[in-house]
Amino acid sequence: MSDFEPKIITFLCNWCSYGAADLAGVSRFQYPPSMRIIRVPCSGRVSPKMILSAFRNGADGVWVSGCHPGDCHYISGNYYARRKFAVLNEMFEYVGLEKDRLHFSWISSAEGVKFADVAKEVIDKVTKLGPAKHFIKKLPEVA
Amino acid sequence: MNYYTDKIKEISKKILSDGKVDTVFGFRKGSLGYMSEPFMAKTAQAADKLVFDCNCRMNLVNYVTNRTGKIGIVVKGCDSRNLVTHIVENKIKRDQLYIIGVPCTGLADKDALLEAAEGEIDSVEDDGETVTVKGEGFEKKLSKKDILQSNCRTCIKRNPVIYDELVGEEVPELEIENRFEDVEKVETMSSDERWDFFNDLLSECTRCYACRNACPLCYCPTCFVDESRPQWVGKGDNETDVMTYHYLRAFHDAGRCTDCGACEAACPMGIKMRYFTRKTIKDCVEKYGFETGMNLEQRPALDQYKVNDPDEFIK
Amino acid sequence: MKMISIKKSDWADAMKKVQESYALAGPVKDKGGHTFRELEKEEVPDLDYKETKMSPKEVVMPKTEVMFTYTLDTKKEGHHILEEVPFDKTPRAAVGIRPYDAKAIEILKKNFDTEDYKDPYFLNKYENLTLVGLAENNPLKVNFSTSCGTGPFDESCLDIILAESGDEYIGKVLTEKGEKFAAAAGFAEGDSGIESKIEELKKAAESKIKSSVSFDKIKKMTVLDLYEAPFWEEVGFACINCGTCTYACPTCWCFDIQDEAKGAEGVRTRNWDTCMSEVYSVHTTGHDPRHEDWQRTRNRFMHKLKYYLDKYEDGIMCVGCGRCVNQCPVNIDIRKVCQQMNDYEPSK
Repeated sequence: MSDFEPKIITFLCNWCSYGAADLAGVSRFQYPPSMRIIRVPCSGRVSPKMILSAFRNGADGVWVSGCHPGDCHYISGNYYARRKFAVLNEMFEYVGLEKDRLHFSWISSAEGVKFADVAKEVIDKVTKLGPAKHFIKKLPEVA
Repeated sequence: MNYYTDKIKEISKKILSDGKVDTVFGFRKGSLGYMSEPFMAKTAQAADKLVFDCNCRMNLVNYVTNRTGKIGIVVKGCDSRNLVTHIVENKIKRDQLYIIGVPCTGLADKDALLEAAEGEIDSVEDDGETVTVKGEGFEKKLSKKDILQSNCRTCIKRNPVIYDELVGEEVPELEIENRFEDVEKVETMSSDERWDFFNDLLSECTRCYACRNACPLCYCPTCFVDESRPQWVGKGDNETDVMTYHYLRAFHDAGRCTDCGACEAACPMGIKMRYFTRKTIKDCVEKYGFETGMNLEQRPALDQYKVNDPDEFIK
Repeated sequence: MKMISIKKSDWADAMKKVQESYALAGPVKDKGGHTFRELEKEEVPDLDYKETKMSPKEVVMPKTEVMFTYTLDTKKEGHHILEEVPFDKTPRAAVGIRPYDAKAIEILKKNFDTEDYKDPYFLNKYENLTLVGLAENNPLKVNFSTSCGTGPFDESCLDIILAESGDEYIGKVLTEKGEKFAAAAGFAEGDSGIESKIEELKKAAESKIKSSVSFDKIKKMTVLDLYEAPFWEEVGFACINCGTCTYACPTCWCFDIQDEAKGAEGVRTRNWDTCMSEVYSVHTTGHDPRHEDWQRTRNRFMHKLKYYLDKYEDGIMCVGCGRCVNQCPVNIDIRKVCQQMNDYEPSK
């Protein structure tokens, strides 16, 4: 298991978190290359359909990051996202999926250090859990 | 609640003859003794078929979505809260409706009735506290408390929150000891136990979508299960697909569900899918102090925000 | 015709013996009721059942069936070539199927075995299937099979018919397939009195059925008259257009073909479909000739009680099992609708 490299689908909001990822890269802050980044206009755009879709396709973890509350480029997108993620996070653990596979954060575009730190934390937690066991969509098999 | 039937007929006949409404949505007797059929009375004569009792498990607000014209509708407490949500979400206008409010003493669980009966059921009579089940060669009196539908046991609002006319005196609200006992039971399980519990719960699901179609909140012109580019969930009986469907449907109803129980009553396989939606209701109550559909000024829980909403789970 | 009998106490052993050469499907206890499904080795069909929520339709038409597979991975052998699913030729038997459910399988065959097209997936399952029926001594109140051209003791579509009589099952072997099965199970030869005993039980069972439908006048009406009848909106009002009736029904045959792909692998599957669904009639242009819910409800009843009646001239597309009546969430009753259609008088 020590050479297990998780696949973590990462939704980053275009204005803040994606900028932070950029800054972390330019500043050469180190973190393991397990992130598969998807740029979205706002964290409020991320819907549970997408997060479940990531797990169905074999993601070991999902991380969603957006602007700090009050700083959303679209004013209130992340406020709605906050409520959505709260309910989603609870439901996720409730049905028996491991809590540490789903992560959320608020990272502004100046916080390159925070981005690298949170990335390390997320990857660490997901690696400890091992490959995803549940919720993987397998193709129908011949009877 | 058979005693409401006459009053419902009276009011319906009046508003139909006055021209106040074009049609009244209510229930009529089903062909099976323990069922009722949603019915649209267009004339005072047709209104004579209306009934109301513990077998009226469907949520009539489901039939009102996007209708034109003036409609009379028979609603209990939970249904009336769905009407409020419908009005807030622009699915119907308040001035189109003549709301006949029913102070509800609870619905009878279909499976409990079938189990208690000593043969095939011919009729079920409901007088509020007791239910009399009759069939060939037997007649049984049951206490409604014993055969109450699961959502009625934790009902927070038996009296309609919005109405034009009530069919009877308001009934006292229930005193509930532990409202979310069923959700808490799951929350005490370990992660693997929960996963097994839910997969076992959904193992009979045939993807008939009776739960979705009976639900007044599920009115999307294209449901996510029918979206094909991309396809979020497959159409077959794969267990990941079944889980995805129920999980996402509960999520789409989060903050809007009033726990009317129509979904569970509709399910032909007897699946208790309210375990999903009850969790979202618990979260909205505990995190945001929010009860769905209590007044017309309030938007659904996930459609509003407060600047200081809890977010300790976000890094 | 051979008479057979088997004591209830010998049933489990007989079934275990027959499983050496047949794969069985039958009713088993499940979550408070019974379900009819494919059985593992060592599982015995439980003939002590009243009804199953889902019909035995799955033995010839599974909920999800893979038609072919493919891979686009150039490193794998046979890539970019459609790989047909190998057909399993193991003899199978549906044990304990009700006679009217067996008639339903014959009705399904009308769709999948036509002059123009013989569906290999259905026919493969059908051809190696032996139907060992269990007659119903006590039909449920919703059962109206006798007026649908079949009945609780209908032998016409079975290979063996068994009936419960005291502490044993008595029966008749009706076809060659049935003989092979009876030999494999080791059913004892029964005495000649069995035929009249079964006839007696049949009369008793059929007299218990009080529910019926008539469709003699439906045949005489034109399609358009019935189609434009004014009662459809009322019939369809309560309908929530779920798929419960279509999935419970042993004669409903609609299917949906879906391709599912994951990375470079893919399958084509055939799933049950329901004519109640919003997307059932949607064209690729987006036009939907049955966009209102009640129009789809009308379509289902017209198909079952009129279009099929006219096209195949073999009665209605219903065997009177009553599952749809029992399971419909809003209690729409096909018997009532059939009566409304039959009683309808089109105004000239």
